[in-house]
Amino acid sequence: MNRALTIAGAELRLMLRSRLALVGIATLLLLSAIAAVTSATQMAAAAEMRAEAQAATDAQFKAQPDRHPHRMVHYGTYALRPVGPLAAFDPGVDAFTGTLLFLEGHRQNSATFGAARESSDLVRFGQLTPAFVLQTLAPLLLVFLGFASIARERERGSLRALAAYGAGAWSILVGKALALGVAAALAMAPAFAALGWAAVQQPGEAGIAALTALSYGGYLLVWVLVITAVSALAASAQGALVTLIAAWAIVVVLVPRAAAAWVGVAEPLPSRVDTEFAIAADLRRIGDSHNPNDPHFAAFKAKLLKRYGVTRVEDLPFNYRGVLAQEGERLTSQLFKDYAARAAAIQNAQTETLTTLGIISPALAVRRASMTGAATDLGTHLAFLAAAEAYRYAMVQKLNGLQASAVASADDAARSKDPIADRRTRISADFWKTIPDFDFSAPSPGERAGAMAMPLAVLALWVALAIGLFAFARRRLERAGL
Amino acid sequence: MSNLAREFGFMLRSRSALMALALLAICASAAVALGLASVARDRAAIDRMIAGQATEERALAAFVKDAGSGAYYGFQPTWDAPSDLAFAALGSRDIAPAMLRVRALALEAQIYENEAANPELALPGRFDLAFVVIYLAPLVLIALLHDLWSGEREAGRYHALAAMPGANRRLWSARVLVRLGGVLAALLLPFAVGALIAGTAPLRALGFAGLIGLVALLWTAIILIVARRGSRSAVHAASLAAIWFALTLVAPAGANLAINAAVPVPDGAALARENREYVHAGWDRPRDQTMRDFLKLYPQLAPGAAIPPTFHWKWYFAFQHLGDRHVAQQSQAYRDGIARRAELARAAGWLLPPAGLAQAMTALARTDIAAQLDYQMRIRAYHQRLREFFYDYLFSEKPFGPDDLADVPRFDPAIDS
Repeated sequence: MNRALTIAGAELRLMLRSRLALVGIATLLLLSAIAAVTSATQMAAAAEMRAEAQAATDAQFKAQPDRHPHRMVHYGTYALRPVGPLAAFDPGVDAFTGTLLFLEGHRQNSATFGAARESSDLVRFGQLTPAFVLQTLAPLLLVFLGFASIARERERGSLRALAAYGAGAWSILVGKALALGVAAALAMAPAFAALGWAAVQQPGEAGIAALTALSYGGYLLVWVLVITAVSALAASAQGALVTLIAAWAIVVVLVPRAAAAWVGVAEPLPSRVDTEFAIAADLRRIGDSHNPNDPHFAAFKAKLLKRYGVTRVEDLPFNYRGVLAQEGERLTSQLFKDYAARAAAIQNAQTETLTTLGIISPALAVRRASMTGAATDLGTHLAFLAAAEAYRYAMVQKLNGLQASAVASADDAARSKDPIADRRTRISADFWKTIPDFDFSAPSPGERAGAMAMPLAVLALWVALAIGLFAFARRRLERAGL
Repeated sequence: MSNLAREFGFMLRSRSALMALALLAICASAAVALGLASVARDRAAIDRMIAGQATEERALAAFVKDAGSGAYYGFQPTWDAPSDLAFAALGSRDIAPAMLRVRALALEAQIYENEAANPELALPGRFDLAFVVIYLAPLVLIALLHDLWSGEREAGRYHALAAMPGANRRLWSARVLVRLGGVLAALLLPFAVGALIAGTAPLRALGFAGLIGLVALLWTAIILIVARRGSRSAVHAASLAAIWFALTLVAPAGANLAINAAVPVPDGAALARENREYVHAGWDRPRDQTMRDFLKLYPQLAPGAAIPPTFHWKWYFAFQHLGDRHVAQQSQAYRDGIARRAELARAAGWLLPPAGLAQAMTALARTDIAAQLDYQMRIRAYHQRLREFFYDYLFSEKPFGPDDLADVPRFDPAIDS
């Protein structure tokens, strides 16, 4: 072990003297510092903007004047997806989904206004965030720093000299890997500091931050071990470099993109219009409120009349129109829910395929662990959509309930012909204040930690593979006489 | 010619060179195939929408009573069909919707809708031929050419080779030409097949092939400048990879940060709320004021503008449109902000040639930001035709029934621009 430490020390001193290594480390330090600061400022600004917009929309809803409750069903409200707790570290899909959802009666809208659609098309590769630095840029820097570590010694013939001093293959490999690990830790410090800072500010996230750090630690360990092993196995430093750059390009650049493109084609998602048409067709089948002779609504009416022992809806003890609106909303919302669940199942299956493909590329696995931990993944977005839909349904039904209980049936029937009756259908603005505000919290740290298990297991598999390659390199060095 | 043949033979015998070229050819073919599949999926979705519209209109015909209900319930499809070159550069087609159904209500509440999509698939960026050309092909070129001179020097053959008469032309030029030709073939052959399948207009296909050639030439020039220096092969490879990394990854990401910071885009949430406030306040605003404001925009409708004291669709559609007018400036500022960012990105493209060439590819394929904004303008133009068609019925009190649904104006990508 002492020998390994000596070799690591010597390698680090060599890096300090090498302009290429110093420039590389300085560049990465600078990039990860810029990424940490800009990402933190951007996400803080986004968080504030969304919180303000949510407060403004809630206040506007409560400030509406006396109205017919159905006006409020159409007035609706907005739900904004809050910024995830660790979004400053890894914004994940935040920019690629809409963040504003309009909630109204009869309709299910899509989330609008995402940052990606407001940006130039300069970077469809990755925004400069701490997570991007660690996933994409750091491994390439490690390649630059480490490709020659052992190959160089062999080319100069100094490997034998090392052996003559009693250094075995194992201490050489471990020493070189250790030095590379130290350089990596140094260059990554700002990105990890960003993670630590987020954990300090939100103590509840400390466990998740630790798991995230663990997954990046494992990911970079894979790179350190593979780079050192390839440097030991390659015939020349040049061969090691070309192999490692190819490996980086395939693992970090090629596979994630190709996998996403393939998954999108192999497991296609119906378009929004497909879903709208399907829902409209289903509604026409099970109950069409526009059709005066619709069997579902006719039966619904007959049942109500029978239950209250009356023959006309005007004699019901409540405003039939409100109850009818409730039944219509119940039917459409059930369909919204069913189709949203189907779309979510397809998307989850797509994402699951991507996680499985992490077996080909550890970059996919670490990205999944990181986004899941930061609550900036697909799962959190789908949870937001589901929460917003549940809120929409509760709000609309409460307003329809007010129409049934607080608006006189006769006035409601006459309001389009009689301005005085129309005036009487407006109920007090105080009712709007009884509707609760929209509130969404990301999946709990416990749930997220559970979801991180699978990608962490894939990363563990990669660490094991890398150790295997490392051990293989040791045997080869030993067989070569070390 | 024999020089080229000899170099070609050398390349065929180099396992690493063949592997790099094969990988590039596989990637390019896969990218073309996935691009074609993605474009076909977009087209099929548009066709399904247009076909499904007939069913929706039959259903509407069963209960439409007047022009007001026809306009209120009558959603009309609009679409942005992929161009014949879109398969090669998908651009931002994955994050901007290619279909939108609109009706004659306030458009600002409709036009920002998004397509259903898994954001995790959009996150890593598109896998298309443009990506293979811009990101992967340079790496293959670097692998093939970085040790052009240093490799021979390290093998101890350099001086003997350089002393050959006409070494530049016979040896180095031939070697560069053959390797560059290999890369171009790996990219252009899949593209040519794709263009034939997609039926790309010959000039446009030629233009795109030219851009591919420019990317390859640009990188060959950069590589040769570095490789000419007298360092070891490993140092050349490391420097070139660092240049690639800076030019294609880091600098564009930095430029994007700077552009986004320099050009603010108005808050979309505020725009949407403002529009809703104005539209819904219309129910409570004095009706005469609404009609007066509306007639300022449409004086020709004044003769039929009288409204009863109760609900009338005329008044309803008037305040819908006034809601759009109310936020017209904000909406324009929102579009201008995005256009300005795209414009600055194009300027940055001159300083960062790989990014500039990527933009030229999406511009040629009409899949860039400008094309998305253009589609939105076509939706706006169509929405105006749609509204005015119904205004005509509403303000002249012309009866409107199921048979009139056939006369509702249709979106036409060619005329709504």
